Amino acid sequence: MSKDGTILAQKIRKSFGPKTVLKDINLDIASGEICCIIGPSGSGKSTILRCINGLETVDSGVLKVNGEDFGYYETAHAYHAHSPKKLAEQRTRVGMVFQSFNLFPNMTALENVMSGPVLVKGADKKQAAKRAQELLASVGLAGFGDYYPAQLSGGQQQRVAIARSLAMDPEIMLFDEPTSALDPEKVGEVLAVMKDLAKKGMTMVVVTHEMGFAREVADSLIFMDDGYVVERGDAREVLSNPQEPRTQAFLQQVL
Amino acid sequence: MSSIEAALKPRIRLRTPGEYAGWVLSILAGIGILVSVLTNPNFKWGVVAQYFTHESILRGLMLTIFLTLASMALGTLLGLGLAIMRSSHVKPISIAANIYITLFRGTPVLVQLIFWFNISALYPNLTIGIPFTNIGTAIDTNALMAPITAALVGLTLNEAAYMAEIIRGGFSSVGKGQIEAADSLGMSAGTRMRKVIIPQAMPSIIPATGNQVIGMFKGTSLVSVLGVAELLQSAQLIYARTYETIPLLLVASLWYLVMTLLLSYPQSKLEQKYSRATSRLPRKAKKVVLTEPEGTLR
Repeated sequence: MSKDGTILAQKIRKSFGPKTVLKDINLDIASGEICCIIGPSGSGKSTILRCINGLETVDSGVLKVNGEDFGYYETAHAYHAHSPKKLAEQRTRVGMVFQSFNLFPNMTALENVMSGPVLVKGADKKQAAKRAQELLASVGLAGFGDYYPAQLSGGQQQRVAIARSLAMDPEIMLFDEPTSALDPEKVGEVLAVMKDLAKKGMTMVVVTHEMGFAREVADSLIFMDDGYVVERGDAREVLSNPQEPRTQAFLQQVL
Repeated sequence: MSSIEAALKPRIRLRTPGEYAGWVLSILAGIGILVSVLTNPNFKWGVVAQYFTHESILRGLMLTIFLTLASMALGTLLGLGLAIMRSSHVKPISIAANIYITLFRGTPVLVQLIFWFNISALYPNLTIGIPFTNIGTAIDTNALMAPITAALVGLTLNEAAYMAEIIRGGFSSVGKGQIEAADSLGMSAGTRMRKVIIPQAMPSIIPATGNQVIGMFKGTSLVSVLGVAELLQSAQLIYARTYETIPLLLVASLWYLVMTLLLSYPQSKLEQKYSRATSRLPRKAKKVVLTEPEGTLR
């Protein structure tokens, strides 16, 4: 049951007070698929990502992550919220990378990467440290284990954050504008790590403004606007030949 | 004709007449007060010296220190509980904590101390036991609320309200992103609190707590109204006998001053250590090496 890596969303609705952010979201992401979500700010692209990780709860609709209902279990008449323990367990299978990194500043890079396995899964510290060293090396940060986040550049911090998520062995990785807070010259190093990850068959959902990355790496592309999925299809196809007028207008502005 | 090159000439600050006047007046006032304090025989410095290390004064000082430490320790623990309750998403719990904090911060400590001392008027007997059964023992509240117990209870409960606000302020200084990062890793609420929130809240909690300790040290003098023989009350007991009121108040004041100064030093050290600017780099952080280690992605 562990390996699945699929995401299914049907008729997802989500409001913050009077403002409906997600109006009718339908998604179907296969295992190992690299899906980029683009769209203007306020279109709901970050919100849908946060729903898939349980940082926000959906108001209605079906949300299945890794093949099972996420955050809730279904009965004949309703969806009932899972216990915190069950929700946490589901979350460990979905990694999240934030725009502002959100590394724990009170821990070294190594401790950050170890935090999930040790503090959540109760892994052996020595083994977790060894694994964390390997993960840091895999994101190009071998030897940076003893540094605190404040001592690292934005690009390095983001790569530590990716390693921290990977340490939980998730089936799905979510990226919420992972390069938006970075200096232009640091964007490349983070995208390189993500490309590397994509080659390994990880399911990835990436909210991004990096059209080059979408064109090069993504399998599918979703264009969102005003709480709806306006267009979805093969990434290169949508970027070069968008069908919907709204997509055409958006791409004209950003490309 | 100038002898030094223009670029090397020193710049002279403007001194206003007000500045000179300030110097002269301050020095005159200082000398005046000093002469008066030293020559006025009514200060009775000899008596002050005689009682400064008097046995009952020192015993009072010990009790003051004990009350400070005990009520701070208990108040901080209780305050932590209240702060956690106040940040709870369960409404009745956070409202309960809120009411507690409002009541205890909104009424004078002096009133609270006298209230706890007289609590037996409300509840003459305190029964410890299992509800709805006959098992348990009744305790005479009046006997339980000895002056020192009332002092400890009063100071602790009051301090808890203040500490709760300080700790809660510390919690809310931890960014939302930190909580989301912990949540997305699947951390339990308890682990999140211990490993992520509390360590990051400490920099703002510790200096404020240091201030509270100093405040509490002087605040303990209020319990003298309950007849607890702490520092002030010890001094009062002596001058009630000898009528040397001023010298004994000076003895107590000097001890308060000495202890406050002693506490200020570690307090300012703590404040430096945890100040926002320096806390960005933890003490044990490795020195940054400018050359990048191998394996860095380009």
